[in-house]
Amino acid sequence: MNKFLRTLIPTDIAKGLSVTGKHFGQVFFTANRRKVPFHIVGEYPEVPAKVQPRYRGRLTLLKDEQGEIKCVCCLACEKICPTQVITIEKGKMEGRKMPFPVRYDFEMERCIFCEFCVESCGFDSIILNHQFELAAYNREDFSLGTKGTAQNMFELSPVGKYSVAED
Amino acid sequence: MFKNEEMEINLGPQHPSTHGVLRVKLRLDGETVTHCRPMIGYLHRGVEKICENQSFFQGQVWTDRMDYCSAVANNLGWAEANEKLLGITVPRRAQYIRTLLNEFNRIASHLIWLGTHAMDIGALTVFLYAFREREDVLDINEAFCGSRLTTTAFRIGGLREDLPPGFEKMVRKFLAKFSDCLDEYEALLTENRIWKKRTIGVAKLSAEDAIALGVTGPMLRAAGVAYDIRKAFPYAAYAEMDFEVPTRTEADTYARYEVRMAEMRQSARIIQQCMDGMPEGPVMAKLPKILRSEVNEVYHATESPKGEIGYYLVGEKGSLNPYRFHVRAPGFINLQSLPKMAEGGLIADVVAAIGSLDIVLGEIDR
Repeated sequence: MNKFLRTLIPTDIAKGLSVTGKHFGQVFFTANRRKVPFHIVGEYPEVPAKVQPRYRGRLTLLKDEQGEIKCVCCLACEKICPTQVITIEKGKMEGRKMPFPVRYDFEMERCIFCEFCVESCGFDSIILNHQFELAAYNREDFSLGTKGTAQNMFELSPVGKYSVAED
Repeated sequence: MFKNEEMEINLGPQHPSTHGVLRVKLRLDGETVTHCRPMIGYLHRGVEKICENQSFFQGQVWTDRMDYCSAVANNLGWAEANEKLLGITVPRRAQYIRTLLNEFNRIASHLIWLGTHAMDIGALTVFLYAFREREDVLDINEAFCGSRLTTTAFRIGGLREDLPPGFEKMVRKFLAKFSDCLDEYEALLTENRIWKKRTIGVAKLSAEDAIALGVTGPMLRAAGVAYDIRKAFPYAAYAEMDFEVPTRTEADTYARYEVRMAEMRQSARIIQQCMDGMPEGPVMAKLPKILRSEVNEVYHATESPKGEIGYYLVGEKGSLNPYRFHVRAPGFINLQSLPKMAEGGLIADVVAAIGSLDIVLGEIDR
């Protein structure tokens, strides 16, 4: 008899509907939807997305106060990279004791963003920035280096340049 | 006038309910499955061979990409197997943080299972709610190691960095609401008559068959065998944790659902204990500059969300990279039980069986 009543009266369906109804009602009857618990609102392309401070984005070469590249070509990052995306060519520059990277090539298309290179660097000359929109239209745009204006290792990549939160 | 013969069809490799690129060869007699063979290998990358050619340190990035739903659990197994091989003891604080992140990963993996499995069977709402909580877990991953999915969370010998500021607040906030969230999923599914009709008594796998096939994880526990490596052979900080191993005896899809839901509650309990009893101290052991193996071979098994994930490493004494590397992937071995579960059932229940296996093809094909 009890089982028959339970089959007749769909309490289980009502229970499920009450969950969805509760969430719908909370959102529908509240003016400020950001305040609704459990409700996630994001206006992502208009409002830059916030990432955590440790976020692993694109590899970036750093410069010191004089505007010189900090890298001293110890090749630690080249050796540790699991996918061998970094190629460094050693060279000399006048008025600088330490070796200077004539070439610092970074093949972003094969990079897996593991941050082993930054971890291995003993001179704090590279970081992974907070950029996550790394799409490009041409394959050449993924080959980054120290030269050139559009794609270099010092600035943000052009696509998604405007939707990265500065912090 | 009517011909009566068996029909052979392919389920997959592009079928949405096969969770990736799994192809299942089915022979049907009407709607009854008479023969079922899973075909794998569409996602083979040769992870084991790649790891043999790289140093002990570099290999970890490949373990992320095996079972990408539970990357942290894979990292943990890899790091501990290597520590055994290289003879390193990990500081206690690092062990606690590892346990904490591993349990978060179990929750994330089970949530993705819950969402997709319920969606396969027809309950779409749960998918949205489950992914909402998974997002919080991924944010915690991102706060700790900088990446959401391919975590590379641990290092051989401990951790790269200590917990970031504000981490405890994130964890406490998650724990405070997670129990209510689980109640919400259960309100949607546990008593639902359609869910019960589609899962109770479907895709049965008895304890004898499960043990004979080497099935581990929630699949085995749903058959009534309380085998959990966290309890049987404690690793990381599990020996100091107080938790239960949920089991059911029905051995059907519904029992697996109940076991996984109960496991998520236990995971939340372990996270609570980790956070409360977090010891102070360093997070990285003192390591030699170049990692060389100390012993010849090692097998280390840990409990990943899907089952027993074991790493078998052979390293000649003093070598820089493993001579042989093998992964005992839980998904690969659990998938063997699919013919046993599906044959004799209806074709619609094959989808339920695949869903209850909780497979990730990145791990099966490696």
